[in-house]
Amino acid sequence: MSAIAASFLEAKALTREFDEGQVKALRGVDFSIEEGEFVAIVGPSGCGKSTLLQLLGALDRPTSGTLLYRGISLPDHPNPAAYRARQVGFIFQAFHLLPTFTAAENVQIPMFEIDRSASERRNRAFELLKLVGLDHRLDHFPSKLSGGERQRVAIARSLANGPSLLLADEPTGNLDSENAQSVLNLLIRLQQEQGRTMVLVTHDATIAERAGRILRMIDGRIVADDKR
Amino acid sequence: MTFFSVVIRGLWRRPLRTGLTLAGISIGIAAVVALVGMSRGFEKGWQAGLKARGTDIVVTSREGSLTPKRFDASVRDRIASLPHVAVTCNILVEVTSVEDSDLMILSAREWGCFAWNNLELVSGRMPRDAVEETVVLGQTAAEVLKKKVGDPIQIETKQLTVVGIVKGGALVEDGSVILSLPLLQGIMGAPNRINVIDVRVTPSTTEQQIKELTRQIGQQASGVRAVTVSEHLSHSEGFRLVRAMSWGTSLLAILVGVLGVMNTMLMTVFERTHEICVLLAVGWTRGRIMRMILYESALLGLLGGVVGVAIGAVGVKVLSATPAIRGLLQPDLSIALLGLSVVIAVAVGISSGLYPAWRSSRLNPSVALQAG
Repeated sequence: MSAIAASFLEAKALTREFDEGQVKALRGVDFSIEEGEFVAIVGPSGCGKSTLLQLLGALDRPTSGTLLYRGISLPDHPNPAAYRARQVGFIFQAFHLLPTFTAAENVQIPMFEIDRSASERRNRAFELLKLVGLDHRLDHFPSKLSGGERQRVAIARSLANGPSLLLADEPTGNLDSENAQSVLNLLIRLQQEQGRTMVLVTHDATIAERAGRILRMIDGRIVADDKR
Repeated sequence: MTFFSVVIRGLWRRPLRTGLTLAGISIGIAAVVALVGMSRGFEKGWQAGLKARGTDIVVTSREGSLTPKRFDASVRDRIASLPHVAVTCNILVEVTSVEDSDLMILSAREWGCFAWNNLELVSGRMPRDAVEETVVLGQTAAEVLKKKVGDPIQIETKQLTVVGIVKGGALVEDGSVILSLPLLQGIMGAPNRINVIDVRVTPSTTEQQIKELTRQIGQQASGVRAVTVSEHLSHSEGFRLVRAMSWGTSLLAILVGVLGVMNTMLMTVFERTHEICVLLAVGWTRGRIMRMILYESALLGLLGGVVGVAIGAVGVKVLSATPAIRGLLQPDLSIALLGLSVVIAVAVGISSGLYPAWRSSRLNPSVALQAG
């Protein structure tokens, strides 16, 4: 008898409540995501999509339900920091680069949690910034970069430790349409070329259309699961 | 980029605040160096003075402040006959103002006793006898009082004459006005009163026998205590007071330093909540965040310590040259004291960073994901 392979990500009856149950951000969410999928989560503001992303990144714990990464329970993960450092790459709407560090240094920040020498970290940062087309901006501080460039640095940072899962929360929300398109193309290229799983939260239908699957959320529940 | 450069970058975010905090620690540590260095120098100077006179055992009363309380000179008669006692010298020491100098040591010695022998004449002569109304001045005392041979000197209500300038072989001796015992007893209105007996033991006396002798002296004469030269200062009420005051003041300065660093590190944690949350989100462990904050505060302490030691060392040299205390002490700025001061500064840094570090590790990284 062969064992049934666990899904890459799997949620069952997942809930998340705040303020002692007065705010129910997630009201029983079920889904499974396979490795290499590009999933967009769409829905109106306050529907729970960002909360779901936080749970997937082990930044928060569910109130109840099951959430598994490759069969391992994330809420019970013995070392959530190691999971975030090695398996997850975050991309935020507001970039969240550290202002006192250059582009190359920002990309190196997550690498402190894995066993790499200073020169290896530097070389890896250079490779990644080249990959996102910013090898000429290595020593620039975030304040000297445009919005699109900042998000590219953030994308390079998310790839620092070769994660299996990219979690992007409105990654183009702070960009003009031209930059948004360019950043989205870059994300999709990186996801497809390297076979990573990407979960992207957006309220923009045109962005969601680029995903292989769309989970639609309303009021803390998934109301549609469109595989394309 | 190394973890250490991340730590330095953290401090460099707010150079003015970091500088002011450094200044706070530096002043605290400078106070430690200056006050403790001066008090230890004071002690060492006295000890060297006793050794220069060839004293093995010091007999003083059990009470007293900066100078010991006076007792009757007849105590010496009971001591002189004890085994291993070679010679004794009755002394009356007072620290008082003399003319323009606020603090001057008056050292009155029994005429002809061994405590006169270490004095080497630089100019002039020694007093002719016990009753001649003259003094000799240590070289530093002569400089401080601006006196030369032949000048009058006013001690309390009595005018005496400086007949000689001497080298005493120790700072305290050089900084003293030296005169015969009956003369000072007369000036102070304390005939037959002394406050120190210097005892020299016979040459073959062992350490054990000296210890036994000190015990016997204590038994023979009630109200007095006999200690070896090295123990003398640790038993002295005056020096204990000076030591307690110097450490007490230093501790207050250190406490101010602790509060300064803690305030800075707490501000840092509050200001960098967002940054710390991002670090947690990209996989930094809570332990690494705590280390970052603790290293920052320890580095602040280390830098403050080094700067403070430098300020303290220079400051104490300047202070010891001021007329008020010149000649009274040579600051003891030993490597041990300077090293201890830096260690204290680092400990201040680390202990002040503990709470902010703990606070930083309790932050919830999910806030970093919120847009904005």
